[in-house]
Amino acid sequence: MSDNLHYTRQEMMAIATGREIRDGELAIFGVGLSMLAGYFAQAYHAPNVRSLTEGGVFGSTPVGGLPWGIECNRISSNAVSFTNALDALGFLVASGRCDVGVIGAAQVDKHGNVNTTGIWGGEIGERYSLPKTRLTGAGGANDIASGARRFVIMANHEKKRFVDKVEYISSPGYLDGGDARKRHGFIGDGPSAIITTLGILRPHPQTREFELSSWFSFSNIEEIRANTGWDLKIAKDAAPTPEPTGAELVALREVDKTGMLRKK
Amino acid sequence: MSMNKLISLQEAVSRFSSDGMQYASGAALPVGSDAIVFGRELLRQKRKKLHALFHCNSQQLNLLAAAGAVDKAECGFSGLEVFGFANGLRRAVESGRLALEDYSNLSMSLRFLGGAMNWPFVPTTVNIGSDIAWRSAFAPDTYPATEKIPTVIDPFSGQKLGALSPLKPDLAAIHVTLSDPEGNAIMIGTEWSRFELSRAAKKVVLIADHIVDTDCARQFPNLVRIPGVIVDAVVWWPFAAWPQSSPGAYDIDEKHMRLMNEQFATEEGTARYIDEFVTKTASIDDYLAAIGHDTLERLQKGASAFLLDPYRKWIKPREEINALLAQNVSKGDAR
Repeated sequence: MSDNLHYTRQEMMAIATGREIRDGELAIFGVGLSMLAGYFAQAYHAPNVRSLTEGGVFGSTPVGGLPWGIECNRISSNAVSFTNALDALGFLVASGRCDVGVIGAAQVDKHGNVNTTGIWGGEIGERYSLPKTRLTGAGGANDIASGARRFVIMANHEKKRFVDKVEYISSPGYLDGGDARKRHGFIGDGPSAIITTLGILRPHPQTREFELSSWFSFSNIEEIRANTGWDLKIAKDAAPTPEPTGAELVALREVDKTGMLRKK
Repeated sequence: MSMNKLISLQEAVSRFSSDGMQYASGAALPVGSDAIVFGRELLRQKRKKLHALFHCNSQQLNLLAAAGAVDKAECGFSGLEVFGFANGLRRAVESGRLALEDYSNLSMSLRFLGGAMNWPFVPTTVNIGSDIAWRSAFAPDTYPATEKIPTVIDPFSGQKLGALSPLKPDLAAIHVTLSDPEGNAIMIGTEWSRFELSRAAKKVVLIADHIVDTDCARQFPNLVRIPGVIVDAVVWWPFAAWPQSSPGAYDIDEKHMRLMNEQFATEEGTARYIDEFVTKTASIDDYLAAIGHDTLERLQKGASAFLLDPYRKWIKPREEINALLAQNVSKGDAR
């Protein structure tokens, strides 16, 4: 781990994700890390972000620690509206109204397709067989990936997670790349970034293959390529990611009161 | 005169459930409102081969799957959010004992909406282009799974879309914060899909944390999103969603959430859990004693407790609820 740093890799990942969210946007956050990143953005540089959860909790901020889930008392004590999934994920996300979503991934591939359904240990084949390890399924992430104007993927940067092609597409990125999303009739434009524990990957404008755009100060191109399961290209303008500022860290730690991101 | 539909939990399960039925519950996400006590009673009455329709997995489905009572399940999300993977459900899926058909959180809502509207299908721009559409655990030999989310053409634009099958569960056991004896119910917190589910199911049983006077519904008619006219029975059971939360009424019991899921990781643990927290909690008093007095006190005093304040004056005391229950038994309604 980054012992000589005054912040953790998880904190860097959350801050880098938060920086993707712009002030005033309509934004949807999933549970866990993505929620911390979102509320950090709101606390620091995007005070007018209009956030919602997929259950339809509006206008709230977490109280008493990271919420256990998206229908939790920790985000129920200062909400201004409770609605429902059809409203949040349907009227506001699948419709194309939502500007940005943040989702997590157990496995992600070079076209930004996300697997959170299961690990088969290779291609599934024609017959749908049982996964060796069953994961949580798509949840609202498929809906966000399909409908939000853009979305950001958060994932731990390990070779087993960054694969050439995911075994199962739970939430669609650019599928086979190029204009595949258009041909399928998706409302949203697809993933704009994969924020990892080592750096930031962004899609090539034509091929839609993810390339290394930026690396965190504690990492480097070699380490990132070594931890990626495809032949990762380096974007022409690739550069180091600016380190978290003191003010950013203060804001993040205010949101992450229970220190979830500081656990080693 | 409004109709009194209050019956006991035991009576509701015996009257409205059967082996092999399509059973919908899991009212509000994996950690929120859910009629978990209904699942405990399903096990006490040895229901089996259930086809579970849970918008999201919850500790109820996790319990039913761990106990081997479910053969088929359809879900949008099958984890426990911050509490991790649902060990009972996971074990049942990985062993092949339970076929889990994957959808997403929006497509489950849309399918309940389709059932409620009596539509032949629901057009969708989510789940398309993914393995949710191409792979089916219910029809594993078909690839792509053309019967699961087939492609249809928008007659106006000519654009391709997915078609979702509507859901009409045999029974929905829906957790609500407050209900009057007729089934006019108020949900505090997000509805998740309880609005459309209550209209899609063939039978609706409400499990309420509190029974309120009908004057409460008359004071807040806009908030009564499930009216009594579509409700078949009302069950009163305090802390019905425990160890999950019911915003306003009680917070999550973090310790028991973890304990429960840890136990479901093995057959032996599941048997222990069922013995201690299912078999021995058949009455409200035994159930509350199993949770423990101090825990009950603490859970009720969470940061969201103020949400219940506007309704407190209409909450009926236990004696009054017992009198209403007795009416239905003596009338022979309860059979």
